[in-house]
Amino acid sequence: MIMINVHSLIKAYNKEIVLNIPELTIQRGEVFGLVGNNGAGKTTFFNLILDLILPSKGHIINNEVKVQESEDWKAFTGAFIDESFTIGYLTADEYFGFIAELREMNQADLEKHLGRYTDFFNGEIRGKKKFIRDMSKGNQKKVGIAAAMMGNPEVVVLDEPFANLDPGSQFKLRQLIKDQVAEKGTTFLISSHTLDNITDVCSRIVILEKGKIVKDVAKTASTLKEIEAFFTGVVVEESNFNLD
Amino acid sequence: MKRSLNYFAWREVTRSSAFGKSMATTIMLGFLALYFIVNFLALGFMLPKLITEKFPNAYPVSVFNSYLLVYFGFDLLMRQLLQSLPTISFKPFIILNIKRSRISRYLLIRSVFHFFNFLPYFLLIPLTFTLVAPHYSTLATVAWFAGILLMIFTNHFLTTYLKWWINESGYGFYVFVGLFLALYGINFFKTVDLTGLFGQFFDTILHQPALAFVLIIPVVTFYLLNDRYLRSNLYLNLVDKKQKDSTVRDFSWMNRFGDYGKFISLDVRMIWRNKRPRTQFMMTILFLFYGLLIYKDQGHGIPDFMFIIGGLMMVSFFSISIGQFFPAWHSQYFAMLMTQNFKMKQFLQAFYYMNVAASFVYFLLSLPYTLIDTRVIYYHSAMLIYHIGVNMNLIFFFGKNSKRALDLSGSSMFNYQGMRATQWLMVFPLVFGPLIIYALLKLALGASGALLVLGGLGAVGILLQPHLFNYFTKAYLQQKHRLIRDYKNS
Repeated sequence: MIMINVHSLIKAYNKEIVLNIPELTIQRGEVFGLVGNNGAGKTTFFNLILDLILPSKGHIINNEVKVQESEDWKAFTGAFIDESFTIGYLTADEYFGFIAELREMNQADLEKHLGRYTDFFNGEIRGKKKFIRDMSKGNQKKVGIAAAMMGNPEVVVLDEPFANLDPGSQFKLRQLIKDQVAEKGTTFLISSHTLDNITDVCSRIVILEKGKIVKDVAKTASTLKEIEAFFTGVVVEESNFNLD
Repeated sequence: MKRSLNYFAWREVTRSSAFGKSMATTIMLGFLALYFIVNFLALGFMLPKLITEKFPNAYPVSVFNSYLLVYFGFDLLMRQLLQSLPTISFKPFIILNIKRSRISRYLLIRSVFHFFNFLPYFLLIPLTFTLVAPHYSTLATVAWFAGILLMIFTNHFLTTYLKWWINESGYGFYVFVGLFLALYGINFFKTVDLTGLFGQFFDTILHQPALAFVLIIPVVTFYLLNDRYLRSNLYLNLVDKKQKDSTVRDFSWMNRFGDYGKFISLDVRMIWRNKRPRTQFMMTILFLFYGLLIYKDQGHGIPDFMFIIGGLMMVSFFSISIGQFFPAWHSQYFAMLMTQNFKMKQFLQAFYYMNVAASFVYFLLSLPYTLIDTRVIYYHSAMLIYHIGVNMNLIFFFGKNSKRALDLSGSSMFNYQGMRATQWLMVFPLVFGPLIIYALLKLALGASGALLVLGGLGAVGILLQPHLFNYFTKAYLQQKHRLIRDYKNS
């Protein structure tokens, strides 16, 4: 069953094409990993899915809703792009409360949802009278990610969720994503510019380079090598050279 | 090469984003500065005449001197609210090979270049020539002038020192206000005639010019206290004081106001917890006292225009002040809001209802002026209805063209970050609109007729509000992508 459908999508700034995806479909329950270097167009693509910027051409359909035309996708889509997705002058609990109300969750739902994040939060987020703007970058990110998964969304978009997190938290986040997929069949769209985390959680990996999809493979042991080679090719060669 | 630290200060000023502000802002600022300067100059030239009229039997200088303490008292209070701590941009210096004493000296001296330390001259210089110079020797005049100058700087450094202290202890501000009120009370009930004693001191300076040297003591004392504080506290956490538990106020009870509650409580938290909107809010409270200034009978009744101005300044100033930046207050997380599942209409309505409630509270608070003149109640009521029906919609209308993101943490006084020609332009219809309408209608219908129409216009706006909300919802949704882009790029 198709969750997200991209039709001849082009985003250009002053005639310079930054994203060009002629055709892309993402299945329900897929964990879609988007990998690419800085400026490859990952965030642009996510912003287009969330209707935060307008495409120059084409459109995106999210669960039968044409994103550029209707707002109904908001009811089943959660997202965290960067720290600007949190509200600096609220405490974490107030922020969760605010999002919970927008997502029409009651107090019990909220507690149940956040209960799953106890480990991930590491006792530094909840029950603190500390504004989000005063938290560390990593903790701000944790708040944003937990809020993005609120209200049983069918699609969750996470831009660079692993960056700025300590290794322990990265591991816990991977587990949280896997659990959510197994229990609820949520579709995830995750981007990263490093491979280790994304290859662990994702079922499908797409490599974006200069706005174009250059590789699109399901994750298996053999494709993993292929992807790694694509990315680290240059580095591997160099190190080999040194060893020799 | 040893470059003066002032070089950086100058660069910081000329290269700041506020300096490269738009033409319109520059022009308006020029006008504003000119307005203050002309006012103070005029006061400087008129005051001697006013004093001789009111106190024909006293020495004009003594009368002026006896009011000095009152002036410095209120100066101190205003400074507490509006003057910021001299902590700007010291961070890059503390890891460099620069002595702490030098950084501290630089910060303190730099802080002296403040609006509050310049404005009084426009009043003082003409006064010195009209009031003091003709009657006293040059030496006495100079000593008197220097004495006042030293008091201004005392206030400056005292403010800074008090602010360090208030910054550290949550209750500091209340202690300060308590002390201030206590002294005011002692003076008011003539337990000790503080203002008189202070005035007499300045009278004595005119006869014993050497006494002015005494006033150097407080300036130097407070300067040294500041210096000592800075030297021992010049660490990273000097400025970014983290929020203390006790000061996190809970506004969750507001969530009960139905669908709008969550946004109203967000708006209220935004205003209360961020420096810039909060200072703007405090200013609107100060403006409640504007009536004391303008509702004065000059012999032939208060002109009715004053009530329109007063109504604007007291009833609708909150909405004008906060509304001129709507929706840029939420610019930092605007993209996030746009991915959430809510209706734009709710967002607009919540802001509307918060302003209606606030305007009503300000209206109630301004009612005691009825004691001065009973017409206040009619004029303020009409202005309240006009404001809710017409001005609020104008605010929404201009808001959809909002372009610049706002930095919530910036200080608010004389801060022109996020200010554009639009912000200046929108003040004209908001403030001059009702004045012009009233003036024109008064010619045709007389005062009460004009007032009725003014209120009537507001009532029409209120009745049309549901339709207007639909229109604005559509308009704001159309602007969504542009708003996100502009906020991100500014």
